[in-house]
Amino acid sequence: MRTTWRDGDRLREAVVEARGSGRYLVRVDGAEIDVAAELLPRGDLRLVTAQGVCVAEITAHGERRFVHLAGQDFVLERTRDGRARPAVAAGGLEAPMPGVVTRVLVAAGDAVRRGQPLVAIEAMKMEHVLRAPRDGRIARVEARAGEMVSPGVALVALEEDG
Amino acid sequence: MFRRVLVANRGEIACRVAQTLQEMGVRPVAVFSEADRGALHTRVMDEAVEIGPAEPRASYLNADALIAAAKRAGCEAVHPGYGFLSENAAFAEAVEAAGLVFIGPTPEQIRAMGDKRAARALAAEAGVPVVPGAEGGDGEALARAAEAMGWPVVVKAALGGGGKGMKVVADRAALAEALESAGRVAAAAFGDAALYLEKRVERARHVEVQVLGDGRGAAIHLIERECSLQRRHQKVIEECPSPAVDDALRERMTAAAVALARRVRYRGAGTIEFLLAPDGAFYFLEMNTRLQVEHPVTEMVTGHDLVRAQVRIAAEGRLPFAQHDVVPRGHAFEARVYAEDAARGFLPQAGEAVRVRWPRQPFARVDAGVESADAVPVHYDPILGKITGFGATRDQALFHLTAALDEARLHGIVTNLPFLRALARAPEVRRGAFDTEWIEREFLAAFAAVATAPAPELAVAAAALAEALGVWQGPAAGTDVAAAPTATPADAFRAAGRWRQPGLA
Repeated sequence: MRTTWRDGDRLREAVVEARGSGRYLVRVDGAEIDVAAELLPRGDLRLVTAQGVCVAEITAHGERRFVHLAGQDFVLERTRDGRARPAVAAGGLEAPMPGVVTRVLVAAGDAVRRGQPLVAIEAMKMEHVLRAPRDGRIARVEARAGEMVSPGVALVALEEDG
Repeated sequence: MFRRVLVANRGEIACRVAQTLQEMGVRPVAVFSEADRGALHTRVMDEAVEIGPAEPRASYLNADALIAAAKRAGCEAVHPGYGFLSENAAFAEAVEAAGLVFIGPTPEQIRAMGDKRAARALAAEAGVPVVPGAEGGDGEALARAAEAMGWPVVVKAALGGGGKGMKVVADRAALAEALESAGRVAAAAFGDAALYLEKRVERARHVEVQVLGDGRGAAIHLIERECSLQRRHQKVIEECPSPAVDDALRERMTAAAVALARRVRYRGAGTIEFLLAPDGAFYFLEMNTRLQVEHPVTEMVTGHDLVRAQVRIAAEGRLPFAQHDVVPRGHAFEARVYAEDAARGFLPQAGEAVRVRWPRQPFARVDAGVESADAVPVHYDPILGKITGFGATRDQALFHLTAALDEARLHGIVTNLPFLRALARAPEVRRGAFDTEWIEREFLAAFAAVATAPAPELAVAAAALAEALGVWQGPAAGTDVAAAPTATPADAFRAAGRWRQPGLA
């Protein structure tokens, strides 16, 4: 079984091949792991590899998998289209977090300079100001003050000036 | 003693206050907003009253709704916790006008100390050194004052606390926007947009003294807390006692704190915050007229329950123990667990804490605000709970904290646990060699390398194996259950993963 995972900005691929008697060969980005897996209650796994034995605690929430392994946590997101997460940070025009739009500082047609505040979002008592990533002109404003937004929702569309 | 007390707060602090009240034989009554229906704090208390919509101003900051709830539930007193209305003099006044006891200082004391500008003046009168500062006037007047004292300066909310809305301003160009943004956050968080400026003391530590006053001029201290491990003026890990304070300095700092508490005839529990400069000079920063988030470290080192002390002072009008009963032993570290993604600029997270297992170490205390399947609403401070490690020595307490952080599981929502685990292991933290800007100046860059490293292959393999074994199979697998408004937490928990027993998969 082949699955692909978003790991931060990376895309990871894993292929699981059953070898019988609870043994599996798992290829992760080309590296081969020979592992015996015992399914524990709640979806946890006891894994035995050449390096030793450990319990991986795994929790699913939507496409996300929270994996606790050896005192550390990892969040992997199962992806079915094989695409890495679009680079949101470069544009800075999408809501980076769930929150409430407190201020819309630009209107469609406005010329803006790089670094100019566009929209303010407040979440959990912290205000985050989204700024123009480059000089340009505001094509559309999707954000409305007082509106709740989810991460990734487009707030402002910026086009090249001229 | 009171028979019933309204706990006018939410989350971990509401749970923690309720525990002491129950232990004292006092019945706590919870309040909750629409967003907190079924939240942990409403489950640990037998009685819970709904007070309004999710927005804090309509619920947890709504004095009328809180007082009505207290009256309706037959409470004699109100415990405000921290944050929300805990340092709002008008609320304390309204509580007392309604014939209820406010478990905290008098409205006059809250006003005097809560207005950080007035507090600075009072501290100076009590002979306590204060940081140079400026207040009043428009942006231009403040800019001129800042230039006179020298950049950088710190913009603070006059009625603020806990570092919310605080901003460091490097130069004149950044001042106007900082004043506007800080004013907005201050208005939202504290109901007043007034600000003041303070000269920033470079490489300073933040050390604070816990005091208790009887309201009639007697006051004692419960030594100091070290709170220099901060990110954006938000404390991250606190400890008691401070590794930077020796007996002689402790004597001077606690004497100054007690002098100020006595001078204002302080009532209840309060904290006097100092900046400790590298040369050993200390300056009054502000007095917090409430229980602090980090009070557990003081409790673990002194053995005194600060909530119990607050309630007894409010009910009996005298200090429940004397200065000679405060005998610090050992050391304690507290880490604040937040729903925020440290790997992505500490963005606050909201959603569902699908699976939670707080540490069960023998030398760890947990102040929990969520359990498995609890919602983490977007409307409030993202604190999920606090983990405190304690022990006979500083090293032991830090080892216990580290182990407890490793054991903690908060799955379903991204938390700052990876950040806390890395911070607790930093050599500077081990040595106690840090100031309030060390995390941002040095540690964040080191952490970023760790945070953006790929997950180990075995972690990816584990996730892939769980899929291959059909652990999460079921009609709802792969859907965002948090988005379904009608789903109960229990439904969401089941839908989030169809648990399959071995052999059935």
